[in-house]
Amino acid sequence: MMKKITDERLKLKNLENIRVLFMVQTIGIIGILGYDLVTKGMGSMTDNPVWYVLILTGVVSAYLSMSISVDHESSKNSPKKGLIISIVVSTFIAIGFGVLVTFTGDLGAGILVGGIVFVCFLASYLYLYYLRTKRQN
Amino acid sequence: MKNNVKIARVQVNLTQQQLAEKIGVTRQTISLIEKGKYNPTLKLCLSICDVVQKSLDELFWVDKEERTK
Repeated sequence: MMKKITDERLKLKNLENIRVLFMVQTIGIIGILGYDLVTKGMGSMTDNPVWYVLILTGVVSAYLSMSISVDHESSKNSPKKGLIISIVVSTFIAIGFGVLVTFTGDLGAGILVGGIVFVCFLASYLYLYYLRTKRQN
Repeated sequence: MKNNVKIARVQVNLTQQQLAEKIGVTRQTISLIEKGKYNPTLKLCLSICDVVQKSLDELFWVDKEERTK
């Protein structure tokens, strides 16, 4: 039976090892996708399930690093003000995307794309707001 | 960083292995702490203090000039 590791130094070493494993995996994934891109083109690369793994890891990593950057930033501005500014900016960006898509396609697609962009921005800003208010307490 | 863990351990007649077993770490970790090559967490420092019956100050305090060496 495997014994549970209680030694803090070994736990730390284990985490460092996982970092190396992550690096190897990421290089592997990028290698596979790169090979797909070169041999079969862009469409085939994005069809590969591994592509979604890469995108998902990117999103998760962005959300995780938010809690680090929130601790790192200076806390002069109030979180509420930051949230309102972010929502206004993301609304403009979403409208911009929506209008661009409407010009090339139809209105429905424009609204859909604009809505998706807005929700994506909103989710991350709400999470940031949550982290900032939590830190203030 | 320099410390007095080795002296304190010898004073209470413990080997590295015995000390390690008492606080639930490996002998290598104790060895590295004694050599000053591993920085233990405060929690581990306190466990060592408990076993060798010394204060944090006695075990780990180093003068400012010594720290940069």
